[in-house]
Amino acid sequence: MIQTPLVTLVGPPNSGKTTLFNILTGKHFKTVNYPGSTVEYSSGDFSKKFNISAKILDSPGLISLNPNSPDEELTIQSLFNHPTNGIPDLILVTADSSQLSRHLLLAKQLIESGFKVILVITMIDILNRKKLTVNHKLLRDIIKTDVTIINGKTEEGIDNLVKIIKSKLTEERKFPNIEKLKIFNHKEYLIKSFEEIESIVNKVIEPLNSDLTKANNELNILNPVLKEVTRKPDELTLKIDRILLHKYFGFFFFLIFMGVIFSSIFWLAAPLMDLVDTFFSSLASYSSEALGNNWYSHLIADGIISGTGAVLIFLPQILILFLILGLLEDTGYLARGAMLIDKPLSKIGLNGKSFVPMLSGFACAIPAILSTRTISNRKERLLTIFIIPLMSCSARLPVYVLLIAYLTPSDKPWLGGFFLSFVYLISILLSIVVAYVINKFNKKLIRYEVESAFILELPTYKLPKLKVVLRNTFENSKQYIIRAGPIIMLLSLIIWFLTYMPNHSPVIDKTGLNQEEIALLENSERLTYSYAANLGSFIEPIMLPLGLDWRVGVSLITAFAAREVFVSSMALIFKITDEENIQSSLLTAMKNAKIESTGQPLFTVSTSIGLIFFFIFALQCISTLAVSRKETGSWRIPVLQLVIFTSTAYFISFIIVNFLRAIGIN
Amino acid sequence: MKNASELNFGEKAVIKDINSSNPYYKRLLEIGFTPGEEIELINTSIFNDPMTFSLRGTLIAIRKKQAESILIS
Repeated sequence: MIQTPLVTLVGPPNSGKTTLFNILTGKHFKTVNYPGSTVEYSSGDFSKKFNISAKILDSPGLISLNPNSPDEELTIQSLFNHPTNGIPDLILVTADSSQLSRHLLLAKQLIESGFKVILVITMIDILNRKKLTVNHKLLRDIIKTDVTIINGKTEEGIDNLVKIIKSKLTEERKFPNIEKLKIFNHKEYLIKSFEEIESIVNKVIEPLNSDLTKANNELNILNPVLKEVTRKPDELTLKIDRILLHKYFGFFFFLIFMGVIFSSIFWLAAPLMDLVDTFFSSLASYSSEALGNNWYSHLIADGIISGTGAVLIFLPQILILFLILGLLEDTGYLARGAMLIDKPLSKIGLNGKSFVPMLSGFACAIPAILSTRTISNRKERLLTIFIIPLMSCSARLPVYVLLIAYLTPSDKPWLGGFFLSFVYLISILLSIVVAYVINKFNKKLIRYEVESAFILELPTYKLPKLKVVLRNTFENSKQYIIRAGPIIMLLSLIIWFLTYMPNHSPVIDKTGLNQEEIALLENSERLTYSYAANLGSFIEPIMLPLGLDWRVGVSLITAFAAREVFVSSMALIFKITDEENIQSSLLTAMKNAKIESTGQPLFTVSTSIGLIFFFIFALQCISTLAVSRKETGSWRIPVLQLVIFTSTAYFISFIIVNFLRAIGIN
Repeated sequence: MKNASELNFGEKAVIKDINSSNPYYKRLLEIGFTPGEEIELINTSIFNDPMTFSLRGTLIAIRKKQAESILIS
């Protein structure tokens, strides 16, 4: 049997490689990791219309075949011999036509390594705008490799590329020599290569006007003006940067953009989140009405349906966040944001590239941790993952809202908004302090020390391609559901079990109560004598120093499934039977609650503030731990995160409660 | 010898050499900072670091520390 041929796509960052991959696969591909690593690549089949029976792999962007990080090393090794797909039969290497003098290096190294290569010249429209073009036939003759030009936007030239791929695949196989990699590493080699590329580029770049080309060829002179033009960055980009990267105002614009994005994550998503919430709570109540008052009905309504709701409630925020970030990235601004914030972040051991993941952390830590993959320095990447759980994710918002509503005097509602901003400010400041401290103890905690650098191309500004951005948004959201969904779901079921058993059919006094009130009273009765309550009483000695009792302890345990579950657990425990307005009746119940063993009021100003601080710090999210484990490759970092953040949460809360009490605020 | 971090805004210079003691000197070469190439300081962040250079028709931002290893004439 003949094995399916393997075509691998290689190219520098911003060289149109992914666009080409999307065209060739017809966007039908899956993203997988190299075995035993966190480095991703995409693989798929050629779109049916091209009639090529071959597998096609995309690979992460490469500047050269000389690796600069463990991730790049793996990518390059896999290029020579892919762990699951073997040696590629053909390599397509992309090069931006306006960046030939830089992008030809990779193509040159691939040809010299002995691969069968097709050089695909991309973004010809940008070069044409400068009234220039590439003489691809001449280039083919010089580098002795097939060269073709495509336009990713109009898909012009794709048919020709497909024709070349077909004919190349019928040629005899070539086997690359990995030993060649050693010479690519020498300074002299690099300088000499660039000199060769320089002379090639001077020959193949021609004016669009063909008469002039002919004249030039006949006279065999190199037009010096031509060189000048290819060496000039995009005019419009320079103009925009004069404003957006202005030395002083640039940073100010950056802060405004981030502020707008940040608030839109909350304000745009809020109505959608309400919608999801309403949908799943009404679905749960319909199903329990239809199935009656029995254990499986409760399992379906409170375990499965509410569990699904807990997963999907964050989807609007994640969608909006990735949509906005995707649009910003596609315009070219995000790289500039990373540049503007690099200095302050480098002070605490992070990198300009840490800032997007950190921002995502305010929506949800899971996609945020996944997006740290763009940070090539391992130490900086691990440190970024380390502090992401400190960003106040959206799951904490309902908890803050409840506790702040409790603290805010009803005649001064504006204070609530002020308190909430203060909580976010504190969480940002604390994460900076933590990153600083962890960075100081780097050798013991992160255990990676690599000289840090920031080298980033600032791409030309362009209008975002909505289709591509939407697709990426969809992919990211899917990743969130796939990775976090099952864990949140499983935990919801475990917590349902702990709060439902063993007293599954409680006996209560039903006189004068309607169906709904009976169900709610039964719920709270069930919880009072549940395994979760036992667990709660067990941890009461731990809660008392914070001025809290077993009931808050149980709510904190249930919050491990998803932090916002804290609020619904409190409602259950404090026997809230008024479904119309849970918050106001919960607030009344909180005001009247007393610690059973001592008779002191449970929720005072000091204990509520202490509890807010507990939530700012504590890593109460099993999904985050699971993703952190997966992305860092061991349990080391997630266990450190859990222990450090949760114990710090406890001690900070303890200190705050007792300090407030000592100065007379009870 | 002067290095790229000492350039003023809009000032152009030709690269003489890349200091091999910088651990990232190969990456700087690979991205196109090669001897003989002309660079121009386009802008810097408010903290004067990183710095953006125009090079081979594109814009590349690098930290001051890396710019110091680019020797110019």
